[in-house]
Amino acid sequence: MDCSTEAIQLMHQYLDGDLVKQEEDKLRVHLEECEACQKHFHELKRTITLVQSTGQIAAPDDFADHVMKRLPAEKKSVKSMR
Amino acid sequence: MDWMIREKVKQVKRGDQSAFADVVTFYQHKIYQHCYRMLGNRHEAEDIGQETFIRAYVNIHSFDDNRKFSTWLYRIATNLVIDRIRKRKPDYYLDAEIKGTDGLTMYSQLAADNRLPEEEVEGWELQDYITEKIAGLPPKYRSVIMLRYLEEFSLKEISEILDIPLGTVKTRIHRGREALRKKLRHV
Repeated sequence: MDCSTEAIQLMHQYLDGDLVKQEEDKLRVHLEECEACQKHFHELKRTITLVQSTGQIAAPDDFADHVMKRLPAEKKSVKSMR
Repeated sequence: MDWMIREKVKQVKRGDQSAFADVVTFYQHKIYQHCYRMLGNRHEAEDIGQETFIRAYVNIHSFDDNRKFSTWLYRIATNLVIDRIRKRKPDYYLDAEIKGTDGLTMYSQLAADNRLPEEEVEGWELQDYITEKIAGLPPKYRSVIMLRYLEEFSLKEISEILDIPLGTVKTRIHRGREALRKKLRHV
């Protein structure tokens, strides 16, 4: 297998859940015998874990209040539809 | 939580403005974070984040109740963000992309919540570093990486949010992962 194109393509398809069993086996067999691809695959999976480890960012405390204050006034015609 | 949002949106459609407050409260942090990571500074994130909810409110009748509300909301946010990035002057844009220092202290503050004191410093540095590397990706890769791995949308949902074909989403996520792999492999 050509590592630089085919194997790497398979890795990404794997990460997107797009591989059928046969292709998955093909990738697994290749990874067992190719150290460079093993490393590449490990780095990709680790990259995802690192991205997911970054903290969540909270909106400022007054965010929702500001939004509500900036909303256009309720329309009477809409209200009467209740 | 989906049914709760569904009910609230129906109430808003019937003219109940107060129900929209619950929708804002529920999504505010997610939308703010998305804007912040895309734009790289607090001021713009707040501005565009608020504008997202106002547009959603004004256009609530165009939302199809059979679809997922979050996808619709993120689509509004993404369009506003892209618009803002396009309007920036090139020099300012590059500056905001690479540095993004504005946020580092805030990331650190937020990270502090569930950490032991001795873990803090080390954890902050790594998180800041990763955050900076994500911020340094070109916007078209950054948006798919964030939507996929931080906001956990499916690839199909991302294609709806960004209004691009599924194949393009996949190409961008592949390139985004490769670019980040190169930046983070020595961490």
